Amino acid sequence: MSASPGAPAPVETGGRHERSAERDRPSSVWRLGLQRYAILIVFAILVVAFGIATPSTFLSIGNLSNILGSQAVLFILVMAVLLPTIMGDFVDLSLGSSLGLSAMVLAVLNVQHGTNVALACLAGIGAALVVGLVNVFFVVYFDNDPFIVTLGTMTIVQGIIYIVSGNNSVGIVSTNLSNWVFTNEFLSIPLEFYYGLAIFLVVWYVLSFTPVGQKALVIGQSREVARLTGIRVDRQRSWAFILAAGIAGIAGIAYAATNGTVDPTAGSALILPAFAAVFLGATAVKPGRINALGALIAVYFLATGTAGFELLGAQSYYQQIFYGAALVVAITIPKVTRERIFKRRRAA
Amino acid sequence: MEEQAPQASAPPAVELRAISKDFGSNRALDNVDLRIGNGEVVGLVGQNGSGKSTLVKILSGVYAPEPGGRLFVGGEEVPLPLAPGQASEIGLSFVYQNLALAPGLTVLENLTLGQRITGGVRSWAPINWMSEHRRAAAVLGRYQVKLDLDQRTGELAPVDQARLAIVRAAEDLRRYRTRSGYKHSVLVLDEPTVFLPEEEVERLFDLIRTVVAEGAAVLFISHDLVAVRSITDRVVVLRDGRIVAEVPAGEIEEQALVDLIVGTAARPGGSAAAEEARPVEVTLAPAGPDGAEDAPGPGPGQNVAVGNLSAGRLKDLSFEISAGEILGVAGLIGSGAEDLPYLLFGAHPAISGTLRLGSGTLDIAGLTPQRSVRQRMALVPADRQLLGLAERLTLWENIVMLVEDEHYRGGVFHRGELVQLAREAVERFEIRPPQTHGVTATFSGGNQQKALLAKWLIAGPRLLLLHEPTQGVDVGARRDIYRFVKSAATLNQTAVLWVTTDFGELAEVCDRVIVLSEGRTVATLTGDELSDDAITAAALRQIRETR
Repeated sequence: MSASPGAPAPVETGGRHERSAERDRPSSVWRLGLQRYAILIVFAILVVAFGIATPSTFLSIGNLSNILGSQAVLFILVMAVLLPTIMGDFVDLSLGSSLGLSAMVLAVLNVQHGTNVALACLAGIGAALVVGLVNVFFVVYFDNDPFIVTLGTMTIVQGIIYIVSGNNSVGIVSTNLSNWVFTNEFLSIPLEFYYGLAIFLVVWYVLSFTPVGQKALVIGQSREVARLTGIRVDRQRSWAFILAAGIAGIAGIAYAATNGTVDPTAGSALILPAFAAVFLGATAVKPGRINALGALIAVYFLATGTAGFELLGAQSYYQQIFYGAALVVAITIPKVTRERIFKRRRAA
Repeated sequence: MEEQAPQASAPPAVELRAISKDFGSNRALDNVDLRIGNGEVVGLVGQNGSGKSTLVKILSGVYAPEPGGRLFVGGEEVPLPLAPGQASEIGLSFVYQNLALAPGLTVLENLTLGQRITGGVRSWAPINWMSEHRRAAAVLGRYQVKLDLDQRTGELAPVDQARLAIVRAAEDLRRYRTRSGYKHSVLVLDEPTVFLPEEEVERLFDLIRTVVAEGAAVLFISHDLVAVRSITDRVVVLRDGRIVAEVPAGEIEEQALVDLIVGTAARPGGSAAAEEARPVEVTLAPAGPDGAEDAPGPGPGQNVAVGNLSAGRLKDLSFEISAGEILGVAGLIGSGAEDLPYLLFGAHPAISGTLRLGSGTLDIAGLTPQRSVRQRMALVPADRQLLGLAERLTLWENIVMLVEDEHYRGGVFHRGELVQLAREAVERFEIRPPQTHGVTATFSGGNQQKALLAKWLIAGPRLLLLHEPTQGVDVGARRDIYRFVKSAATLNQTAVLWVTTDFGELAEVCDRVIVLSEGRTVATLTGDELSDDAITAAALRQIRETR
């Protein structure tokens, strides 16, 4: 992924794709559809394959609940990552740390200081929002490269987490919170899945069905055009950073409630999978554009693959290979098919 | 070689014979002969589109001339076209207006790295910065240029950047002469003075004289006739691709030179208008050929007046545009005309000035694009790809960008209405192919430009600011764009500001043209006075008078 704001990497594939859509209708409709639903098709193939391989376990309610529930924290974080990325501020790296900070503030206040759990949650989200404001100050106000600034803030926040926690895991947070996030279920799925779904619906609606979302798209595609069209570019970018930090804070609360104890390295393991899901999602639904629905599909596609391989006996750390490979393959496939169609047309 | 012996004792440094160049049906150069003797400074002048840059591009190997053209360097024929990079191997060196310096690198790096890249030193040989430093200091010393070698080039004054670029080019030539043993070499300077203040031009000339004393010949291309007359030995005038005069620089008056450049057809009427300060009263009525029949007179609250605008090169500039009028702004590069649309839109910061738009008055220094859009101003920038359209979005998304808020009601974004709106615009603005969902980058330049115009015009602007609106646009689309802008002016009473260096275009579409020089209005032309030649004459004359 590129750090330069003007050149969003995954966008290119779709642009080229739709370019051919203009020249040749019948085959391009087919191909656009193929690309749009490629992940869903592979998703379905995976489900069927795992279902055949391990019918008793993979196709169980328990497994579905596990897949949907276990990925809720990542899913919420993905919604956070989506916001600055869609506006061309590629990679807010600090969002993982914001998640960790929020979780750790909650845990320290609740466990070590006995603060009321609701207050502790608010404090955690507040701490994450502060990180977002710092990012806005340095990225938007001073017009710095977001990659470099958030690399810095990520490191700083990680250091603060170590200081606050004394480099220890902190737990166990109030079971009351855990009940309302993780333990209680609706339709056999932990409640946190529905929280994530609610956040998704809001993000999806705003990005896809309001002028604000359309403007975000313009900002992400061409910031100078947006500026000269009278769009409040800096204001929208600022909101993206702040809201993203807030959502990452919520993801931190969900993390703490799910795990009970908070590890100082909590967020750093999640941030790269979150980016993988966002960029993988950009190849689906609206190919070439980072979009919320695509990200939703990508998260659960990756989660399903991981869960399936685990049931087949693979160690959980194989999921990293699956994540990385899925991302690389997904952005490469459209180019491969284009080459092949090009050759076939030539031969005909 | 023998046949030119009677002409001169030594062969000319460069000689071009029978050079022609066609672009489609348009003949840009027609049988041009040009000789530059050793140690000679030759000025090349001509209006925009006269073929100057085409000639330079043939010399630098960018264009291939039509068959029959020949090039002699130091008396030996070199086959045309030149391969890219070949020019430097036969003793030709170029300094363009943009200077081609890397602003982030130091003076030393700019001076030495180019030479390493273009050869001479093995690319894997380690760099000894101490000795590079000494050699660079010696080079600067040779041309009597004092610069801090460790300073970032971008921090230098413009004149020092120009001098650095010239030193670098001259040093390339000197090395070429030493290496090859030839006497000839030619430094081509393309508009080197446009961004320089008057008093600094002289410092540049000192350097050019030093370069000539070292043994190079110079081809000096400029609009600045004062500069051309003071530095060159001989002036070559190009008009419509032909050489119309070759005269010793000391023997021709500037007025005569202007006449040669624009042709004898240039009427003295243009100069009469130039003497008047600002004949506003003549021009307040919309005088366009189309506007005359159904213009209901200036609509209330739609006149535009710019007062005392100062910013960058613009000094205390005031002018008015009536509702429905197309005002052209002409000026040579460096006149400040090209900044005007961006300043009025708030895209570039201004120091001071007022903009009266209908009944309201805005402070130009406090303008932002957001405010300008709210005031229903529109900017069509020259850089369509970077500033005008989001190329990776679809056509409809670009076209409706300004009006999408109006189609979000009760929490529902009426995308269908927007697509319908865009579809109608595609129809009305004759965008081909009419694929509203096509990615913008896939459309041709002319169709993109129509889309850009559509984007702004469907928002119903009160003031339309155009900068080079037909740049990179084919002839058909160019006609269409003229038509769309004229009808917007006539039917919607939009005030239009049209800035371009294509003076023929201004003469064709504008009701009135103001000519800027050194940031001031120096001439106003209307009605029958409007012609390509008259505008050029006014622009050239003013450089002479302000110097």
